[in-house]
This record gives sequence, C-alpha cells and structure tokens, in this order.
Amino acid sequence: MTAPLDALLQRAAIWRARGALPASAALAPGSSVQSGWPRLDACLPDGGWPLGTLIELLLPEAGVGELRLLLPALRALGTSTGGRRWLAWIAPPHLPYPPALAQGGIHAERLLLIATRHTAERLWAAEQALRSGSCTAVLLWLDTADDRWLRRLKFAAEAGGALAVLFRPLGREAHASPATLRLALEPTPAGLDLRVFKSRGRGPQRVHDALSS
Amino acid sequence: MAVHGARRSARAPKLDPQATGDLFTPAPPPAPAPAAATPAPTVAARHAPLPARLPIPRQLWLALRFTTLALLAAAPRRAATAPRVIVEGEGARRLVCAGNEAARRAGIHVGLKLAAAHALVPALEVLERAPVEEARELGRLAQWAMSLSPFVSLEPPDQLLLEVQGSLRLFDGAAALLRRATVELEAQGHAPALALAPTPRAATWFARALPGTAIESPATLAGRLGRLPLEALGWPARALEDCARLGLGTLGELKRLPRDGLARRFEAPLLAELDEAYGLKPAPRRRYLVPERFRERMELPAELTGTPELTPYCEHLLGELGTFLRVRNAGVARLAFLFAHREGKPSCVLVGRALPAADVAEWRGLLRERLMRVLLPAPVLALTLRTGAAVPLSGASAALPGFGHAATDTQALALLDRLRARLGEGAVSGLSLVPEHRPEAAWRAVRPASLLPPEDPGRAAAALPAAARPLWLLATPEPLTVRNGRPRHGGALKLESGPERIESGWWDGADVLRDYYVAVTAGGARLWIFKARGARDWFLHGVFG
Repeated sequence: MTAPLDALLQRAAIWRARGALPASAALAPGSSVQSGWPRLDACLPDGGWPLGTLIELLLPEAGVGELRLLLPALRALGTSTGGRRWLAWIAPPHLPYPPALAQGGIHAERLLLIATRHTAERLWAAEQALRSGSCTAVLLWLDTADDRWLRRLKFAAEAGGALAVLFRPLGREAHASPATLRLALEPTPAGLDLRVFKSRGRGPQRVHDALSS
Repeated sequence: MAVHGARRSARAPKLDPQATGDLFTPAPPPAPAPAAATPAPTVAARHAPLPARLPIPRQLWLALRFTTLALLAAAPRRAATAPRVIVEGEGARRLVCAGNEAARRAGIHVGLKLAAAHALVPALEVLERAPVEEARELGRLAQWAMSLSPFVSLEPPDQLLLEVQGSLRLFDGAAALLRRATVELEAQGHAPALALAPTPRAATWFARALPGTAIESPATLAGRLGRLPLEALGWPARALEDCARLGLGTLGELKRLPRDGLARRFEAPLLAELDEAYGLKPAPRRRYLVPERFRERMELPAELTGTPELTPYCEHLLGELGTFLRVRNAGVARLAFLFAHREGKPSCVLVGRALPAADVAEWRGLLRERLMRVLLPAPVLALTLRTGAAVPLSGASAALPGFGHAATDTQALALLDRLRARLGEGAVSGLSLVPEHRPEAAWRAVRPASLLPPEDPGRAAAALPAAARPLWLLATPEPLTVRNGRPRHGGALKLESGPERIESGWWDGADVLRDYYVAVTAGGARLWIFKARGARDWFLHGVFG
C-alpha cells in the first residue's frame, strides 16, 4: 500500500523538508574539537584542536603516535556529524588499518584514501577536500610545499570548516608556515612529548607524555 | 433506434441529446439485450465520446517553421555570402528546394529548375538536400521546444507544432512566448516563421503563408483563415491548378463552394484538412517522444589537435545534453566523448559521476579536469557525445535553511567526482572491514559510493579481533635484521606483549602460521612484528602510530 506513495515521494518535483531538525553540532570555522587528551587540551588556545584552519604536525618518522593523538578527535567529529562526511587521507605513508580504526571507534567506510603521483596533486586534492565542506577531517602528508600553497590550503580550510592536519617531517620546523597551530611530536622512552611551538596568543609550550591520561 | 443512433454518431460530429445524456448520467443497469441486437450498442459506446458536445479543453497551437532548415542541414556551420541553393530530384527534374539570401536576391526561387538557376547565377553553389540531417535537426529542435510546452509534435519536413494554451501564463502571454521562441531559435542559427492559431492545421498554414500571425480566439479564426491564399495550404500542384481554373484565390472563396461539389472535385484527405483547420473536425497530433539516450555528433570546422581548442565544442555538446536532461527531469552517470580521427579508431574520453546528475556546470568542470590529462594521438575531425540511459533523478530534497544536513550528500559525491576526474578512477578508494583472522586479509579497498550509514555496523564490530591492532599496516611485511636471535629495527627491540598466534587460511593456499608481538623501539615507537612459526626470520607488519 505504501509502495506507490514511496514511488511518488522519490520524484524530484516533490519537496520534502527532510532533516528539518536542528543541525547537530555542524562544523563551523572558529570552533574547536577536544583532542581527548586533557594535558594537550589545557595547552591549546581553544581548549582543543581548532577547526577550519591549518594544523601542522612535525614527525621524526611515521608511526610515532600521530594517529593515536588524533583518534579521539576524529571519533568525536564523526559522531557529531552523524557519520555523513568523509574522512580524507591524502597520500598516507602506509595503509590506515581498518580493524584498528574500528577498534578506535572510526568507521572505515567513511575513509577516502586518495593516492597521488606528485606534490601538486596532493595539494590540489587537499584543497578540493577542504573546500568541499563534505569532510570532517582532511589529513595530508607532505614533504615540501611552498608557502603560497599552504596559504591556499588554509583559506580552503576556512571555507570548509574541517579539521585540517598537515603532517611534515621534523626538519621543517625552521621554515615559516601559515599554519595556525604547529606541533612537533617527540617520542621518548616514557611516552610521546609534544612541543607546541606556534599557537594563537601563546608562547612555546611542552606537553610531557601527552598520550597518558 | 439504437442502430440508427450509432451510425449517426460514428459519422457526424453531432449526437442526439439522448445519446450525450447517457454519457453523464449514471447508466441504468443495462437491460439484457436480445442476441441479435448486441453488436449495435457496442459500436455506439465506442464512438460516443468523440463528438463536439463534450467539453474539449480549449487549445492553442504554435507552429514553428524553420525556413533555413534545409540549408543548415546540408551545410552545417558553413555560412556563405555567395549564392547557394539546395536541390533535390533526379536528372532534368532537379529543382531548387531552398536557397540562401544571396540566391534569393539573384532571382532564384523555390521550385526553379537547376538549369534555370544556373542561367541566372553561373557561379552558383549547389548542394544536395540532406533529408536525414534535416530529420535529426528537427528532432533536436523538438527537444528544445519541450522547454516551451510539454506537447510537441513533428510536422515534417520543416515544422513543429506546440500546444501552448497551458504555457501562456508561465511565459506571460502569447506575445512574450513568440518573442522568446524567436530569440532562442535565432540564437541557434535558425530563421523561424511562427504562427499561433486555435487549430493545429490552421497554425501550420499561417506559418507558411503569413508568419507572425497570432490568433488566440476561435471566434476570429474563420475570418482570418478566409483571407489565406490557397498556396499556403501546401496542396499538390494538381489540386491547386484545379482551384485556379475555378477562379479561386483564397481559402474563403474555396470554403463558400457547395460541399458536395468540392467532394467530387477534391480528394477526401484534402477536405478533411479544411475541416481540421476550421475546427470542425478533431485533428489529433502525435506527441513527440524523446529518445532516452543522448547521442549527438558534431563536425568540427577544421582539424583540431589540442584539447584546449576542443573544449568549447565539447561544452557546446554538453549544453545540448543539459537541455535533453532537463526536459526529462533525468540524469546520467557516465558520458563518453568520442574524438574521430582521419584514420584509425576514435579516441574515447569517459567522464563519470558517482550518481546520475543533470547539472551541466558540474559536468563541464569534470570534463575540463579530464581533458587536461588527455593526449590525443591525431588531429580530430568530429566529436560525438554519448551517454548511458537517462534515469529519473531521485527526489533528494534540500533541507530548510538553517536546519539539518544541507545537501551534504550531494557535496560529498561532487567531491568524489572531482577527485576521480583529475586523479583517475582508481586514485580514490574507500576501506571496508572483512571478518577474517589473517591481518592482511581483514580489510578490503572499496569504491566509495555514498554516505549512507553502513548496512550492519554490529556485524562488522563483532568480527573485530580482541587484541590490539596497529593503525598503520605495511603493504608487505618488511624483514627485520636479527642479532643474537633478537629482532632489531634501528636498535634492539623490546618485546612488550605477545605472542598472539594467528593460524588461518589453509583452505585457499595463502595460509599463515605466525606469532605476533608488540615491540618497542629505542625511540619509543611501538611496532607490530611477527615470526613465522618454525622459522627464524622476523618481519615488521605494522606500526601502532
């Protein structure tokens, strides 16, 4: 009995106020998401990762704990947007392993893995993903990039409101960067130390053993 | 009585009041008829709804005649200032059927013999008539005409009929509608002759003889028709000669002659045309039905080599595709551009979308991205745009402003389309969990398609391993150096936990038999390493990240 009605409602000429509910914590530039690590949140100007701007993480090598660091925020963003946005990974060094992501509470189905041939494509893809407004987070791995491109990425992030994270090798610290927040990850035998060396309105800080609560 | 009524109703447009009344009053239960009389009531019932007494909705027909259709079809995109004619026929009976402005000024008119035309203009350019191209162009124009009215009918060779009574309000009246049609057709390079009349036949006649005529009221139709010259009727030459012999010049004079005399002199179809024009006889038209696949070919003015030069032509075809899709409220998911070369197979450029879509602007952007990466092997002579089947667009409604997920799905798919167009189809992939014990088989790359919630999140979660898994997995396990039986990575590794024994896959030949450990490097990174049971080698398989 409902089948003809359903067929009718499928027609584009019929407008239905779908989702006429208050938006559930939509992404908005200027807001932030808690990192899930209390010691780190205490050091960040907005009490968490800022959204809609560029965040730069400098790593000595892949796998020092950068994903664990981001996982709680990615999970929170996925939940707050109802799982209706992508999580873009552009040129990651290895495969993000779905069973581990699922253990961390992230739906592997929401991931977009974007393979690129060269830096220009990475930057282009990142800009598209950031600007589209359909990604909760865009993670980009990059060795080199000139300043103008990073600035474009920052503007794109402002337009889309996603969590924009740029991973670069540790040696890039001395180079100026338009990123709003810059952190260096330094693994120690005791745990992972974070060195916040650029953040809005605060001086350099150090978070010892950030990934223990 | 019943037999008599049935005959009359079948022939004449009038019915006796009783018969009409029966159509509207709830019929009394039919009396069981005697067997001999049965056929008669059935005939009456079949023919009864036709007559004029029924309230036929008022109609207004717009006839569009394309005066330069033959010229355009025979020589597309090659305008000429020198005299040029289109001819048809064989041998000595090759007659001019169309000519351009220069030819007309030189005194060449339609119906002239080719030899006579050559005598007038020795350097005349003569082209053969192209009926197939004309029919195709008329079909294309019919698709365009659907933007003005849902009812379009083809009147070959060079006219279209549109029922526009229902469109008048939308387009602000007849005058504005005519203006709009003229402007849009002239923009497409046509020289249209338009006429509006309450009957389709009259509209086609006015378009032929008195373009620009607009008769909206049926009351004035007969008077205006009466002044039409008989040439407008497009009747066969013999019938027109007969009329001339009778001293008839206009339609009104012809109409005044006694009917039975006319019936003896002219064939029945011609008289039927008269009745149709005056609205005495219904003149049903066949509705033009559009093909559900788009396929359009375009000859290029010159051989083009580079994709930047080709882009405008591709976009022209995309514009036509947009019209095609809009009138159907449909979308397509895949386009194929075929570039024809002088030799060899045509090159094909495919553009795809995650979901069927009709927005030309987005298609245009994707095409640009795609063309940037295309290297054509040879100059291009012509291009063809082909699509898969057009499917009705599903009703994705936007949310109220300020509420809900405003078009996120559409944006999400548009992002996929853009990335695929520029980076290649395979460059963007999604991930999916597979319930499987072997670490390298516990995931699968999938083609990301939509943001719909996963079908069964519970099932996938239930299949998760109990032990910790690394966030980074290496594509192929990397052998580790071993010193004193202990694995090393940079420095000596400290085993933190393990072993976790994984033993599976004996059935498909890729069986594994491994002991996994979590190891910590001197720098503090945590690794996922394994040793095949019975072997001495260690491998790095993942990083906990």
